[in-house]
Amino acid sequence: MRASSYVLNKKRIFTLYPQLEEERAERKTGSRADIRTKLMILSILVLLAAAAYLTVGVHFENQRLMNYAFSLRTPKLIVMAIAAFAIGGASIVFQSIINNTIVTPCLLGMNSLYTLIHTAVVFFAGSGSILAVNANLAFAADLILMSVAATFIYSYLFRKTNHNVLYVLLVGTVLSSFFGSLQGTMIRVMDPNEYDSLLATLVASLSNINGEIITVSLLVLAGVIFLLRKELALLDVITLGKNQAINLGVDYDRTIRRLLWGVTICIAVATAMVGPISFLGLIIANLSRQLFKTYRHSVLITGATLFGMVLLMGGQLIVEHIFVYSVPISVFITVGGGLYFLYLLLKGRKSI
Amino acid sequence: MRKYGSTLVLVLVLFILSVCSLFIGVIDVNLQGLLGGNVEQLHIFLASRLPRLLAILCTGVGMSVAGLIMQQLCMNKFVSPTTGATIASAELGVLIALLFMPSSTLWGRALFAFAAAILGIWIFVWFIQRITFKDVVMVPLVGIMFSNVIGGITNYLAYKYEMTQALSSWLVGHFALVIRGRYEIVYLVLPLVILAFLFATHFNIVGMGKDFSQNLGVNYNLVLFLGLGIAAMITASVVVVVGAISYIGLIVPNLVALFKGDKIKGTLIDTALFGAVFVLACDMLGRVIIAPFELPIELIIGVLGSILFIGLLFYRLKNGRRAVAWLKKVKPEQQSC
Amino acid sequence: MNIRKLTKRYDGKAVVDGVSFTIPKGKVTSLIGPNGAGKSTVMGMISRLIARDEGMVDFEGKEMKQWKSRELSKRLAILTQHNNVQMKLTVRELVAFGRFPYSGNRLTAEDEGIIDNAISYMELEEFEQRFIDELSGGQRQRAYIAMVIAQDTDYVLLDEPTNNLDIYHASNMMKMARRLCDELGKTVILVLHELNYAAFYSDYICAFANGRIEKFGTVKEVMQKDVLGKIYNVDFEIMEIQGKPLSIYY
Repeated sequence: MRASSYVLNKKRIFTLYPQLEEERAERKTGSRADIRTKLMILSILVLLAAAAYLTVGVHFENQRLMNYAFSLRTPKLIVMAIAAFAIGGASIVFQSIINNTIVTPCLLGMNSLYTLIHTAVVFFAGSGSILAVNANLAFAADLILMSVAATFIYSYLFRKTNHNVLYVLLVGTVLSSFFGSLQGTMIRVMDPNEYDSLLATLVASLSNINGEIITVSLLVLAGVIFLLRKELALLDVITLGKNQAINLGVDYDRTIRRLLWGVTICIAVATAMVGPISFLGLIIANLSRQLFKTYRHSVLITGATLFGMVLLMGGQLIVEHIFVYSVPISVFITVGGGLYFLYLLLKGRKSI
Repeated sequence: MRKYGSTLVLVLVLFILSVCSLFIGVIDVNLQGLLGGNVEQLHIFLASRLPRLLAILCTGVGMSVAGLIMQQLCMNKFVSPTTGATIASAELGVLIALLFMPSSTLWGRALFAFAAAILGIWIFVWFIQRITFKDVVMVPLVGIMFSNVIGGITNYLAYKYEMTQALSSWLVGHFALVIRGRYEIVYLVLPLVILAFLFATHFNIVGMGKDFSQNLGVNYNLVLFLGLGIAAMITASVVVVVGAISYIGLIVPNLVALFKGDKIKGTLIDTALFGAVFVLACDMLGRVIIAPFELPIELIIGVLGSILFIGLLFYRLKNGRRAVAWLKKVKPEQQSC
Repeated sequence: MNIRKLTKRYDGKAVVDGVSFTIPKGKVTSLIGPNGAGKSTVMGMISRLIARDEGMVDFEGKEMKQWKSRELSKRLAILTQHNNVQMKLTVRELVAFGRFPYSGNRLTAEDEGIIDNAISYMELEEFEQRFIDELSGGQRQRAYIAMVIAQDTDYVLLDEPTNNLDIYHASNMMKMARRLCDELGKTVILVLHELNYAAFYSDYICAFANGRIEKFGTVKEVMQKDVLGKIYNVDFEIMEIQGKPLSIYY
């Protein structure tokens, strides 16, 4: 239709094109500015939630009570922030790897696998051993085992089902109940009388966070990001699918393998700190995708992390002060996440 | 005679396992003691061992038949009390009874469980009928998520009214508490299974689809919801007595159908027997592993069942809907890509 | 591009069996043949998407495997049949990926210009900001071609580009392939099902049957009654329209 405006160089058409620089700039900054505003609003929400979480119900007139409350709440806040990043980042990356937005690593039972491995380590090392007493050491052992086991199990699963997402998902849900049953069996074998309390000490939860490993977790996450910096930069291209990615010069198999490993570690970190929260990743990853409507992973991961922080901090605030700890936040996340998942399934079934 | 060969073998295995099961336990019970009139042994035998065995048999038979009915009616091999939101609904029913009628008897709770299970399964099936699924796996996936949501609501109520302790004894199925006077509801399974047997052909016809059944003069919706009601009631009576036991309703009918095909009349008895054998074997395993303590059967079946289920899924993925080829001595056709 | 004794086996059965030919530079070459003849597999192997079992692919004087994947992606682009992207991606963003081999994630002003050109070349200006999952099949196909154009390679490989397109869009697609060759001097290789598109728009045809090359030559050489009849097991008539051979089969 605008054939006359083509400037075609015989070999390279791409030398000059008389489009107005301003027009292009305007279009580009338009969407960028939009994203920036949304990120700003989310960040403000996060700050508000964090401030509220720290201060609501604190007796400021009493110095000692105030310090006590802060010393309890600050580590929790940090843990929630780390968990939000680990789960949000892992979910977004995982969804892009398998090119499907209704699956998250937690739905495939990665967090049950971690809890199982952690229980197994204590089980085989004995509850009096150094691995059971030293949280950091146990964490290190868990991470190594998790890397090996998860890589093996999930790459086998994807290969065997030919990357058929529905089958992967069904097997994944069954796997997570399998890991859960195995873990339950181990705990009962260890101590048939006291298995309830044993379960509580072995598995963290949001009301019973594992604050001892904050430093190590931060180091691990930083390490993962550093080791995978090249692969993370390739994520946008991976989104296009295997053939397109190879066409654009990406070493696909290696990249996927390494990213999957990173996802595993992130889930392990989050589960070790706050326990299994299956649907959180699904909710925050999809909220981020819906709000930002972009493929840019730096934006998506930041968005998911911020959403996760708002959800966890705000949710925990409500749970602690309105329900007075009676109902754990994971229950709300399960119900909300389940309904959200059904909605996504029905909405997206055309594309499945 | 060949036709009944598998049935005979199953009856024999079930009998042997049953006898063994009666004599496994913390306190020694032996034949001489029973016959010699040892009062203590006789008491344990009648008050604990025998009820337990009967409960196990009813559970095995009931859950597998319920699964078979649901699979037939929904035309989907992956639907079962676990993946069809039935168990979760029954649990919610039990909890509601505990909450709002704390003094209710076992029968009162059972009534609530029945109502909730039937309602749950009807809503689920109504829901999946609204939607046409491209892939069979979507249906159990939706069912699992349904169960998750219902289970979440149950959990919420339990936490809110501090019923988590009571709930966890329902959530994890086990036979340890089955003693005389507390388990008789599970006998309801028997008349329900007989009812299912009488209507087997009807279920088969409804399973072939709406048009098909109308053509043969069978009221599709009536049979569908009646059949689902039977399956739900069987499930609920098991949940009330022993708690949630997943996978049996999924694994057993599928395994039997692999060998014997999909005609209900021919497979119903075998499915029931195999279910009983499977649960009994798992129960004995659970009692032996950490004796004198015992592992809840839900855990044993959770481990074995998931492995079997994943195997089944992979098999199906590879071979499509075909039955086990090597059994029929037919070479599978080369699949073209 | 020189292809020597290319072989691919699935479960011990050779799908592609010792295929050798040389792709003429700066021309449009179509690979044709019945279902399962191995043309798409050959396409996959010469574009490194599918690993080969035996044989050599010599690309610009260097074995394909010796090329760095990134370097290769500046010389050769492939577009396959199935491109399901579930992510929210606008047309412009998709086309921008064509510049990835050159600039990574940071686009230069020159890249932006090239992207603009590719978009207008495929007449996609009005869809530029639309998400690709909201487009029709024909529009989406054009968006992908635009990306390949932005990739600015000497070789362009298209695997059944006319699949699922109506006659209007399919013939436009073929004209586009022709223009890529005539106006931009690219070497275009196509896998096609529709014989007459191959006959009308290409310079050379390579006909496959049972994993082997049955006939390779100019359009006139391949579009013969007996050649085609042997490949497809159908009776053919060859007519001449606008100086090009067209086949009629029944």
